[in-house]
Amino acid sequence: LIMKDNSLRLVAPEQALKELGLSEHQLRFTCRVQIQNPQSEQDTLNTIYSHLKSVLKEHSIQHLPDGTVMVESILIKVSAAAEEPSTKTLLVSWSYQDEELGGYLCTLLRKGLPQSTG
Amino acid sequence: LEEPPEHRAPKPLLSGAVPIEQFLATLQKHGITEVKVEDTPDGHILHLQDEDTLIQLEEDSTHIICDNNEMLRATLRDLVLRFLQKF
Repeated sequence: LIMKDNSLRLVAPEQALKELGLSEHQLRFTCRVQIQNPQSEQDTLNTIYSHLKSVLKEHSIQHLPDGTVMVESILIKVSAAAEEPSTKTLLVSWSYQDEELGGYLCTLLRKGLPQSTG
Repeated sequence: LEEPPEHRAPKPLLSGAVPIEQFLATLQKHGITEVKVEDTPDGHILHLQDEDTLIQLEEDSTHIICDNNEMLRATLRDLVLRFLQKF
């Protein structure tokens, strides 16, 4: 809702910022989540994909060719430590606009993955 | 674990900038004192040494990179939000 020239109008937030001459500030979070999983990085990502598909039925989930799982606009990547390949570090990255879902995903993934891939 | 969040929650936009000196002072007030500041072409990178957390501050963006410590993340988020306007 913006007031300009003595009139009130309801506009989209992006439009309101523009009309007020303000620029957007992007706030982004990346959380490292460590899990134990003996699978390869690729298979771990597949398991994450299936797991999230079964838990988050209402959300758009994609498995991108660059080795990323994307939930709405939240990115999830997997890397294994060279000296301890069964310890996987998941990088979960989201913007403030997806704050609620991002926090939820970190908590969910920290609990680990189901043993069998769905 | 709680239910997944609703699909269509409102998505507020942010505007403004986070002033480095004031932000550092705010961190200090919250007990985060071991901060190494590195200048970058577009802003600063703050390394919170005890928390093993990085905060990349730029004029139009802030990126918080931390371990899965939800309490710390939420604290840092709220401290950053103090300097920004929500729409």
